[in-house]
Amino acid sequence: MDSVLSIKDLTKKYGRITAVNNLSLEIKKGTVFGLLGPNGSGKTTTLGIILDVINRTSGEYQWFGEAPSKEHRKRIGAILETPIFYPYLSATDNLKIVAEIKQVPTDNIDHVLRQVDLYERKDDKFKTYSLGMKQRLSIGSALLCNPTVMILDEPTNGLDPQGIAEIRKLIIEIAKDGKTIILASHLLDEVQKVCSHFAVLKKGKMIYTGLVEDVSKGEETIEVFAEDENLEQLLNDYEGIKNINFDHNKWIVSLHDGHNSITLNAYLIANKITVSHLVTQKKSLEKQFLEVLAASDE
Amino acid sequence: MLRLLKIDFKKFVNYRTFWVLMTLYSVLVVSIPTTVMEFLKWLKVKGANFNEFDPLRVPVLYFPDIWQNITYVYAFLKIVLAIVVIISVSNEFSYKTVRQNIIDGMSRIEFVGSKLSTILMLSLYSTLLVFLTGLITGLIYTPNYDFTDIFTGIEFVFAYFLDVLLYLLFAFLLTVLIKRSGLTIALLVIYLPLEYILTANLPNSIDFIGAYFPMHAMNNLIEVPFPKYIFQEIQDYVSMKSVLVALFYIVLFPLAIYKKLKQSDL
Ligand SMILES: Nc1ncnc2c1ncn2[C@@H]1O[C@H](COP(=O)(O)OP(=O)(O)O)[C@@H](O)[C@H]1O
Ligand SMILES: [Mg+2]
Repeated sequence: MDSVLSIKDLTKKYGRITAVNNLSLEIKKGTVFGLLGPNGSGKTTTLGIILDVINRTSGEYQWFGEAPSKEHRKRIGAILETPIFYPYLSATDNLKIVAEIKQVPTDNIDHVLRQVDLYERKDDKFKTYSLGMKQRLSIGSALLCNPTVMILDEPTNGLDPQGIAEIRKLIIEIAKDGKTIILASHLLDEVQKVCSHFAVLKKGKMIYTGLVEDVSKGEETIEVFAEDENLEQLLNDYEGIKNINFDHNKWIVSLHDGHNSITLNAYLIANKITVSHLVTQKKSLEKQFLEVLAASDE
Repeated sequence: MLRLLKIDFKKFVNYRTFWVLMTLYSVLVVSIPTTVMEFLKWLKVKGANFNEFDPLRVPVLYFPDIWQNITYVYAFLKIVLAIVVIISVSNEFSYKTVRQNIIDGMSRIEFVGSKLSTILMLSLYSTLLVFLTGLITGLIYTPNYDFTDIFTGIEFVFAYFLDVLLYLLFAFLLTVLIKRSGLTIALLVIYLPLEYILTANLPNSIDFIGAYFPMHAMNNLIEVPFPKYIFQEIQDYVSMKSVLVALFYIVLFPLAIYKKLKQSDL
């Protein structure tokens, strides 16, 4: 009973375009789930369907193990694509409408406005806000009902680096409260920095799903350099060696399970080599992502 | 229902356009009878020569004539209320707030319900305003009347309510179909003459169906009263048939609106 969202064989067709293609997905309580995919891969469409603003062509989905209804949506904080508010109303007035729809007390409004750092501007009209402020208000609005589940669709889209950092920090803070978060993004490092689980969509199909941690794990490379001509030979003789390359004045090695920079260093010291450079590099999700995308073309 | 009305009202509270239009409308309604009466008085005082004809003797704004007269005239002003409805609904589409409302936890039925409750309130407000204006005008100007005269013809006020309600629902439906406010207002305005041109050209064998078209249904509720002042026959009552046809559209339009919204991606 800790399933938050379960999607089964979901399909959405727009005429000849299949925006979501037989998608199945299970999201458990407390996970920060990244929905990763290039633009047009069907992320927004998928979220639109589970939020009942887009009609599905076929398939099923359930919230909290139940048939979906407006009561579920009242307990979910969600933003889709862009911040949507009444431009001629202030932040406070806009949130009052949200509170009325979600049937939650308005007492919480000042609190969430402080949380997203908009309290000082709460009486200004929404249309006078900068894009970053609009994004923050939409996150504040999603927090208003103290949701157990949050859905964020490209929350950093169009922001400058500082705005991006602020929003990510906010998301990480929210995730620490134990909320389930579903984050759609075409940015790999965003998913890597924020999420625990992720799925990769391409042309409406899910082509990969797993833990972010697994992706980073075991895909380490180690950069080594020492002023010693025996280094190459010693590295090649090391029992844990899997692969070795020379690149830009240093050796790039990858190791078998159970070996890491510490064991390698100990081995080199035992063989009387002191290294001048030793760095562990995790293979980025980006590389994995590109590999997965490329593999799906074959 | 009250909750839905409250939600929609919150969208208006700080919306200038809404208050400007409502004030304009209310001032128009309240000021027309006084203006007309003062104008007639002024004509008389000016001693205009009407061949022994006293303009104040024409009972346009006297009980019981007043009800049919003012409801007939005021029905033209409902376009202002229709513009309020069109702006209110088209804003939801152009700002995409209808989408966010649903995401936040409204059902499509509730969204329609919240707009319907506003439309109902606008119609009731308009009817009440017209009723009070008629009552006060009649009380002030009618030279001598029996108590029963006051409420003779009051059914026109009820017909007026249906008239406004039907028109606003029609505006709502058009907006849901067209979505853009300017275009919807233009279409609303030209639809009425178009309907009359269409029905005028129906072949004789089926021209009776003309009365069942929506704008006909609306306009047949309150027939033109003024020819009677030049001694022509008029329909000085609200016909049951026109009420039934109007009620039919009052039920049909919301159903059509809901059906359209239900099958659209927002
Ligand atoms: N209303 C629509 N009509 C037709 N095609 C659409 C519509 N909305 C989305 N699409 C198409 O569906 C696909 C998925 O879009 P979307 O879900 O927005 O992708 P993402 O959010 O991953 O960028 C795209 O090919 C897009 O062009
Ligand atoms: Mg998208």
